[in-house]
Amino acid sequence: MSKLLIFLTLIPLLPILTTSFSPENPSSRRVLVLLDDLALKSSHSVFFNSLQSRGFDLDFKLADDPKIGLHRYGQYLYDALILFCPTTERFGGSIDLAAILDFVDSGHDLIIAADSNASDLIREIATESGVDFDEDPAALVIDHISYAVSNTEGDHTLIASDEYIKSDVILGSKKIEAPVLFQGIGHSLNPSNSLVLKVLSASPSAYSSNPKSKLSNPPSLTGSAISLVSIVQARNNARILISGSLSMFSNRFFRSEVQKAGSPTKHEKSGNEQFLTELSKWVFHERGHLKAMNVRHHKAGEADEPTIYRVNDDLEYSVEIYEWSGTSWEPYVADDVQVQFYMMSPYVLKNLSTDKKGSYFTAFKVPDVYGVFQFKVEYRRLGYTSLSLSKQIPVRPFKHNEYERFIPAAYPYYGAAFSMMTGFFIFTAVHLYSK
Amino acid sequence: MVKSTSKEAHALFHSLRSAYAATPTNLKIIDLYVVFSVFTALIQVVYMAIVGSFPFNSFLSGVLSCIGTAVLAVCLRIQVNKENKEFKDLPPERAFADFVLCNLVLHLVIMNFLG
Repeated sequence: MSKLLIFLTLIPLLPILTTSFSPENPSSRRVLVLLDDLALKSSHSVFFNSLQSRGFDLDFKLADDPKIGLHRYGQYLYDALILFCPTTERFGGSIDLAAILDFVDSGHDLIIAADSNASDLIREIATESGVDFDEDPAALVIDHISYAVSNTEGDHTLIASDEYIKSDVILGSKKIEAPVLFQGIGHSLNPSNSLVLKVLSASPSAYSSNPKSKLSNPPSLTGSAISLVSIVQARNNARILISGSLSMFSNRFFRSEVQKAGSPTKHEKSGNEQFLTELSKWVFHERGHLKAMNVRHHKAGEADEPTIYRVNDDLEYSVEIYEWSGTSWEPYVADDVQVQFYMMSPYVLKNLSTDKKGSYFTAFKVPDVYGVFQFKVEYRRLGYTSLSLSKQIPVRPFKHNEYERFIPAAYPYYGAAFSMMTGFFIFTAVHLYSK
Repeated sequence: MVKSTSKEAHALFHSLRSAYAATPTNLKIIDLYVVFSVFTALIQVVYMAIVGSFPFNSFLSGVLSCIGTAVLAVCLRIQVNKENKEFKDLPPERAFADFVLCNLVLHLVIMNFLG
């Protein structure tokens, strides 16, 4: 009977256990890969194999397969979605634009690769994510200065770019030596969207146009404003990667040797593999995912957490912050984590010191103000998931018996009051007997 | 001119002194008591100006006890003065009883406010 009860109470918890990035068991994650053509499975096998070797369970489906679906019975079947289907006009099964947006809104990750002749559907998904692909369907990013040198003098649509975002958490701490090969369409970031970031941008000499026709009008997208690869981290910590090129994920580009025009060094292997592997680690939360636990506070010199503080109490606050490394939770080390003691505005704002083992702590004095306060940690850094902790605590004024009974500075006043009483007594006696 | 002014002032002061010498002893005792309490109040005000107004309630009660005492003593003086015809129906014993009662109330309040 009790076992049945436990089972019944666990049933409502099942969706919570299986959706999105689960902090306790992040290693077994299922990814749906939608392809235009199953040949991509072998032509892009290096990228897929690197995901599989990191423990991802890839489910390859054709984009127009009528049986595909992202959720069943109210539960998501996958933790992430890879769209390698740039020309698909509509998905099979129950997937459409709204379903993909719901999927991201519930905290799941998404990788979109577009290409020349990208369909309106893929463009719409990208627009909803905060980037706009060049509207001309035949346009490609062209760069006559920093193109990749090849045997045949081409139309300079194969670009070698090394203008990465400067962030160790997004691209890994190891420097990417070789330039990244890119052949595809450019996009611009929506200026009103503050969550989208340019990871790989085009050089100042690039522009977006149809390489086969003569350039009659000035191109709409030019220079460093063109983003080749962008990322988004939504407010619910879902991560999105948007690339204007599907071929940059291919084995051919991964293996290709690369020489940037005008540069004497010829690299044996392009930077694509390192760049995309590191970036996919970030997108799939193997890096830059923080969790905070064990938020504690107590009066200085005590161990138990009080239910209320008094004004001017000395207190100590501590929190543990860990980062997911792909296999385990590692201590997160930084010197810019701050705690606020907050009531309408922060009365105290203190940097937390760390012991480099994940624990952050500080001590401060409760301000001389009573009311309902909060301990707040709002930590938002480029590439890291945002931490937002708050814990409420009331602060009371002194009780009547907590004031000092006698204040030395007031002794003259006490003396005056008592001398008045003595004076009254003596005066009474003198007044009565002086007749 | 100056000489005559100082002479007049001297004459005025002298006449005041001789007039005050005729005051009954019990009124002189009350006057002494009033001077004592006002002087104590002044000392406290000077002390507060030097040290600061931190235990402000103590300061207030210390000073007000002095001022209150002085006011009550002046009231008593008015009522027991034989030359004052306004209170000729009021016996001095009654006036003194009022004075004692008011003082008790005053000091009760002061003690509550002092600490």
